[in-house]
Amino acid sequence: MASKFGLAGGIPERRVRPIWDAVDSRQYKAALKLCTALLAKHPTSPYVLALKGLILERMGKPDEALSVCLNAKELLYSDNIFHFDDLTLSTLQIVFQRLERLDLATSCYEYACTKYPNNLELMMGLFNCYVREYSYVKQQQTAIKMYKTVGEERFLLWAVCSIQLQVHFSSGGEKLLPLAEALLKKHITSHSLHEPEALAFYISILEQQSKYDAALEVLSGDLGSLMGREEDKLRLQGRLLAQACNYAAASEIYQKILESCPDDWESFLHYLGCLLEHDVNLPKSRTSEHPSSLPVNSALALKTSLSEELVESRLASALTFVQKLQVNDTSDCVRGPHLANIEIERQRRRSGNPTDRKFIEALINYFHRFGHLSCAASDVEIYLHMLSSDETAELLDTVSRSFDASSLSVKALGLAITTFKVQELLGTFFSKSTTEIQHIAKGMVEAFYKNLPLSRDLDPQESMHGEELLCMASSILVQLFWRTRNLGYLIEAILVLEFGLTVRKYVTLEVKNILLESASHHILPQMLNSPLLQQTADLVIEFVQFKERLQHSMQYLSVRSDSVILSLKQKAESLEEVESILENVNHGARLVELSNEDNMKRFTFNEDLQARPWWTPTTSVNFLSEPFDEGSTPACFRAKACEHKSTEKDDPKIKDAERKALLPRLVYLSMHGCASSLRETQLNGSGLDTDATEMKPLLVKYARSIGYSIDDALSVILGMSSGKKSVKDFAPDIVSWMSFAVFINAWNLWSNESVIPRADESSPSSWQIVDSLVKICIEEQLIDANRILTSPGNNIPVLVQMITEPISWHLVVIQSCVRSMAPQGKKKKKGGPSERPNVPRLQAIQRSVQCMIDTVRGVQSWLSDQMRPEEQALDILLSYLQGGSEDGPGQISCILEENSARHNPEHGERIAQSLETWSSAGVVRRIVGAEKELLVELRKICDSKLNLLASVSASLSSALH
Amino acid sequence: MTTIRRFCCDDLLRFSSVNLDHLTETFNMSFYMTYMARWPDYFHAAVSPGDRVMGYIMGKVEGQGESWHGHVTAVSVATEFRRQKLAKKLMNLLEEISDKMDKAYFVDLFVRASNMPAIRMYEKPPHD
Repeated sequence: MASKFGLAGGIPERRVRPIWDAVDSRQYKAALKLCTALLAKHPTSPYVLALKGLILERMGKPDEALSVCLNAKELLYSDNIFHFDDLTLSTLQIVFQRLERLDLATSCYEYACTKYPNNLELMMGLFNCYVREYSYVKQQQTAIKMYKTVGEERFLLWAVCSIQLQVHFSSGGEKLLPLAEALLKKHITSHSLHEPEALAFYISILEQQSKYDAALEVLSGDLGSLMGREEDKLRLQGRLLAQACNYAAASEIYQKILESCPDDWESFLHYLGCLLEHDVNLPKSRTSEHPSSLPVNSALALKTSLSEELVESRLASALTFVQKLQVNDTSDCVRGPHLANIEIERQRRRSGNPTDRKFIEALINYFHRFGHLSCAASDVEIYLHMLSSDETAELLDTVSRSFDASSLSVKALGLAITTFKVQELLGTFFSKSTTEIQHIAKGMVEAFYKNLPLSRDLDPQESMHGEELLCMASSILVQLFWRTRNLGYLIEAILVLEFGLTVRKYVTLEVKNILLESASHHILPQMLNSPLLQQTADLVIEFVQFKERLQHSMQYLSVRSDSVILSLKQKAESLEEVESILENVNHGARLVELSNEDNMKRFTFNEDLQARPWWTPTTSVNFLSEPFDEGSTPACFRAKACEHKSTEKDDPKIKDAERKALLPRLVYLSMHGCASSLRETQLNGSGLDTDATEMKPLLVKYARSIGYSIDDALSVILGMSSGKKSVKDFAPDIVSWMSFAVFINAWNLWSNESVIPRADESSPSSWQIVDSLVKICIEEQLIDANRILTSPGNNIPVLVQMITEPISWHLVVIQSCVRSMAPQGKKKKKGGPSERPNVPRLQAIQRSVQCMIDTVRGVQSWLSDQMRPEEQALDILLSYLQGGSEDGPGQISCILEENSARHNPEHGERIAQSLETWSSAGVVRRIVGAEKELLVELRKICDSKLNLLASVSASLSSALH
Repeated sequence: MTTIRRFCCDDLLRFSSVNLDHLTETFNMSFYMTYMARWPDYFHAAVSPGDRVMGYIMGKVEGQGESWHGHVTAVSVATEFRRQKLAKKLMNLLEEISDKMDKAYFVDLFVRASNMPAIRMYEKPPHD
């Protein structure tokens, strides 16, 4: 067998090196050239063929790559093969993996391992193949074979790990645990263990069989020294003792941990759990659930079997211990023991007198000590929600009185911010009147400005003291906008944020970059196939769970649908391009499959909701837009906000994802069906049945995703197009309704069933339904858009969507129809009659084309009206800020303007310079510029639609005359 | 107070509050997972009582012979949790692990020349 060096796959290394170099530097053409030359000398070398496959795959020629690699595989299997090495196999493996044919790679290795048994390198390759395919049983068998061959600890661990995977991901896997234990025991007797991971595996196997005492014994014996850090060992001991229900010993261990790490919150919760024998706070085996930390709120509903007296005395001893920790700390940075105090008082309050003041006193003490920290409010968020409104008022009052708001100090500023944050967290702002919260927002902006001198010596890249104030203020302004619909507030919210960016130089481009990157986390498909490295059992199990989570990611499905829909929208003017886009995603069939019910049930939601503001960004679920009710308490707003966050995960979003996943297939079926229908209707249309039968269930699903049965949905579009139903009532889904009408028309063209019930000849045809629906919906948008002229938050995005989606799909249908009746030499029809066009239908199409032309022209002329001179647009927007009254928007922008104009020497040179560049009008001018750009782009889209419509109209005329 | 524990996959989906900072780099997912798999003891998250990711440290151990050393690839703390010496704590942890578990000789890191706040922190003596 050839080694990796010298002879690579039987070919001298010096010949192969340049090819690899070219591949590594992405010079694929050069690589291919070199490879072809080498192949001429060694036409039957599987290695060179595999290399060629690799290059072809990189060049985006998957089919050729596959056939070359299959050829190589065949040669490998033939008896007269001379060189058979891991390099050849691993090269083939890379290509097969990229072609998503892991099975082929595995079978190559399987064959090699049969041919050369006991070859460790090949066996490792085979093991990795099974890892990639998640074949746990075969993984285990291969690992055991390797272990038997060389007796190395690592192969034993691979086998044990494969067993762990079966335990977690296959039913009945638990039976294998004793086997794993026996294997490890035997190995320990003969060889002992040498790696910390090996110990972790052993303990975990024992733990899963509830053999806690045995595990503790191992840990306190010689093997225990494999644990590098004393705290880690103690944590493990504490967990095992707690699981063995030896709570007294466990709590002692946790005390020890806290003595050396007083800030370890999780250990404190475990400590308390062991003292009180509470289920929720007790440590769990790490493999039994995700090793994420214990959320405090899960401890709310905990139950203990201890008597009241016992609970009280144990809590008292915990308190003494915690107070000792507080005294020992001199650094002033360790918050754990102080928060522990609050938690202990909360427990006391639960079990004893609910009006006991010690709980609120503990909170007040916490704020006295740490209230200036930016995280103070979120530290105790969960406890804040337990306060009555009187207690909240007392807390806020005491904290506010504890500092002098007029003095300039980081600490006083921090405390002021914390009091605002507490109110924000509790939803206090929601129940205040418009005037009151406007006043609060104003106060925040003033406080930020007043405290700017504190930041004079900060590095420009550090966050300025008090930046949170600006975020909170703009958040209030957004709330005011939704409450009053006064655009001025929204402009002010933007101004406040821009003001902050003026003071602090933030590289916005990089932020965008990071945002993109973090979003791509959800969609990086190569991660799903990444080979897992064998480390500890926990880790491997975690990786597999994570893989499942990503595979069923809702965002992943959405992004896949979105990217197809986006390309379709971009290329909608060219039927050829639309066809090729659809062909690349197997005509949308895979997306439909991904959105079937079984898959939908397993959806995971991986968005980071904590990183999102508390309002939801879609207008259909925006709780800020709900009517303001003076009588509501902060608590009910909190509840509402929580409800909105939790419903993110269900209905509307899933329905939306489902609908998007259906769309590419519906577009494909519509154009495919129509194209043949025009020619074949006279031939009784029998050839179209398969498509027709597929279309119906998809449309049923589509209608259901908007919340209707297909019959009801049909009557809705009939109602809307005839003006009997108001388009407004269906506003949130209006674009989906329009697309639905388009697909119904396409289906109607070639279905044998009569899709739309027609009472008589005067009832509208499916073409007329689409025409009038499109016309009505777009006109409605234009009226609405006029109402809030040149403003952010207007209806332009919906308008754009109407033009680029339903109208595009409709034009695709029309284009397919037109193309199919155009004389084409190549496509000779079976029967002669196809040459004679279906005149009534062509007339219907032509009417539809004319209607689209009129509608898009309407949009064009509206757009022209909007393209006012910049100064005029600027004046309109600025006028929103010039209310002048006490109540309306404009006051905050005034503060920003006045303060930045006034030179304050205390700001230091850098901040002063930044402030000099500030101008509200400058920001508003940028808003106007962005709006204009938007309108120009929309006009371009309309232009291209009109061009297309004109050419379609011309060919229709020539066909008809 | 802080729970410092091993960084886990799910944290990748909820650490944007830490990474939304123009000095913090966001890598692709496989990069993080490689670190988790190869140097699990060098990748830790600090979690707040409210279960938010406060910050994290990611590193590795590498080198040959006398240059066998720990390396800090990234250490970052969310804005909300800054100015309470959390990064220092994470650095000390990594130092301890590289010393006790891997017997490394030293720990090194790269820092952007423009990142003055970070440079000042690293220059302070370890137990300041």
